[in-house]
Amino acid sequence: MKITDFFKDRVFIYISYSVTFGIIFTFMNAFHTDLQLNLITGIIFLLMAAINEAWEFFRKNGFYNDLRDKLENLDRKYLISEMIDEPSFAEGKLFRDVICEAGKSMCENIAVYRKNSSEFREFIEMWVHEIKLPVSSLLLMTHNNRSEISENFLEQLMRIDNYTDTVLYYARSENAEKDYLINETSLKRVVSNIALKHREMLLMHNVTLRTAGLDLNVLTDGKWLEFILGQLISNSIKFFSSERGPEITISAKEFPDKTILNYKDNGIGIPDSDIPYIFNKSFTGENGRNGARSTGMGLYIVKNLCDRLGHTISVDSQKNVFTEFEIIFPKNDFYKFN
Amino acid sequence: MKKIFIVEDDKSIRDELAKLLKNAGYLTEALTDFKEPTEKILSANADLLLLDINLPELNGEIILKEIRSNSDIPIIMVTSRTSETDEVLSLSYGADDYITKPYDPTILLLRISAVLKRYSKSASNLTYRGWSVNPAKGALISENNEIILTKNEMIIFQLLLDRQGEIVTRDALMTALWDNDEFINDNALTVNISRLRAKLSDAGHNDALETRKKQGYILK
Repeated sequence: MKITDFFKDRVFIYISYSVTFGIIFTFMNAFHTDLQLNLITGIIFLLMAAINEAWEFFRKNGFYNDLRDKLENLDRKYLISEMIDEPSFAEGKLFRDVICEAGKSMCENIAVYRKNSSEFREFIEMWVHEIKLPVSSLLLMTHNNRSEISENFLEQLMRIDNYTDTVLYYARSENAEKDYLINETSLKRVVSNIALKHREMLLMHNVTLRTAGLDLNVLTDGKWLEFILGQLISNSIKFFSSERGPEITISAKEFPDKTILNYKDNGIGIPDSDIPYIFNKSFTGENGRNGARSTGMGLYIVKNLCDRLGHTISVDSQKNVFTEFEIIFPKNDFYKFN
Repeated sequence: MKKIFIVEDDKSIRDELAKLLKNAGYLTEALTDFKEPTEKILSANADLLLLDINLPELNGEIILKEIRSNSDIPIIMVTSRTSETDEVLSLSYGADDYITKPYDPTILLLRISAVLKRYSKSASNLTYRGWSVNPAKGALISENNEIILTKNEMIIFQLLLDRQGEIVTRDALMTALWDNDEFINDNALTVNISRLRAKLSDAGHNDALETRKKQGYILK
C-alpha cells in the first residue's frame, strides 16, 4: 500500500478535519480566547489526528502488504483465503470473511467438476473395456469362419480397435491421476508387440519394416509407448506415397545421458508450413485435408503422453521424401527407485 | 491331445475361443459357473489355463495367486484392460504369458503352443526323416551331411515340423516370423519358402514341402 494512495483515499476525512478545525477556530476567535490556548488546542488536535492517521496507515499497510506477499508467493493463488491472518480492523474482517466464503464456494464448485470428470473417465475406461469384448468376439468369429471378405472385416475391426484406444488414451492423457507405471522396458519388446498388433495392416499395404539397435532398455510405461508407436504407424500407413515401396524404419541409439528412439517412414512427408502445428489439438494440416481422413487428435495425444512420461518428441520431415519422429528418453536415476 | 481350460465370462468369446482351439487340435473345457473357481480349475486337470482377469465373482489375479500356490500348470492371462500394472502384477504372480483383448487368434495359438512347448518334458520333435534338427546351430544334421538354414528358414521349418502332415497357412508362418522379430513381407516369405524347398531337395527330399494353393504348405 503506497502512502500517497492512503492519503488520496482519505482526502474527504482531511477536508472534514480542516472544516471542523476551522469552525472551532472561528468559535474560539468569536469568544476571544487566549491565542496560546488556541495554539495548544490546535497542536493537540493536529497531533491526535497525525497519530490516528499513522496508526490507521500502519495496521492497514501491515495487513495488506502481508496479504500481497503471500499472494505473490502462492503457487495456487486461489488458496489465499487459507492464508489471511485475522485482521484487527472491522473492514478487514469483513474482507476476510468474503474472501473465505468465496474460496469455499469455489472449492465446492471445483469438487463437483472434479468428481464429474473422474466419473466420466471411469466410465470411458469401463466402456473401452466393454467394447473390446464384442471386438474380440468378432475377431475370433472372423477367424473361425474364413472367407474372401475376412480380410476386409479384419481391417475394419482393427480400425474400431484403434479408435477406441484413442479414446482411452485421450482420457488418460487429459487426467491428472497418475495411472502409468514407469519401469525398465525393453524397446525390442515394445516394437515387437506393436508390430505384431499392426501386422495385418502392414502386410496388407506391403510395408517393409526395418528395425535396428533395439536391444536397449528405457524407463517408460510399455503400454503407453506401444500406443504412441501405434499412432505413428497408423499415420504412416495413411500417408504413404504411391511412387515407391512403403518403408518404416525404427531404430534406437544410446547416449550417456539419454536414449533416442528414431521412427522414420518414406511417405509423402509434411509441408514445412505445417510442421510447427502437427502436435496441436485438432490440427489436420494439408495432408489431413487432402488425403486420408484425419481427426487431428492422434499426434496431440502422443505429445501429451510423452510429456507426462517425461519423454521429448520431435519431428522432422521433407515433403515427398520422409517423415521422422524422435523420442528422447532421458536417463533419470530418480525413477529407478519407484 | 492337450487340454486347455478356458476361464472367460463373456459367453460369445468363450464359445468362439473353444471353437478356435478345437480347430487347432486342442481339447477344451470351460468354466461356466464362477463359484469356487479355483477348485473347479484344478480338478479339470488341464495342460494349460487361459485366464481372464475381469470375472464376475473374483478377480482373475486372485485366482492366479491361489492356483499358483497349489499347482504349476501353465497359465496365460487374457484381459481387455490395457495397463502396465496389470501385466507386471500378473507376471509377478506367476503367469507364463499375458495377452490383451482384442487378440489376434493366430498370435494366441502361437503363444499357447510356445508355452506348452516350454513345459513339455519330452523335447519336441527334433528329427525329420533321419535328420536331426538343431535350431541353435541353425542346421539340419545327418550322419554325413549338414544343411545350414537361415534364421527365417529355421522358424518356418520348425513350425512346419511341429505340424508335420497338416496344412500350415501363410498367415501362421508370417505370424511366427513376426513373433520372432522377423518383420518380413509377403514376397520375402515366398522367397524364403522356395529357398527352404531348394535346400531340402538338395538333401534329397524333393517332395518334402508341398504347396496347397490358397491354403498353405505341408511338410511331408
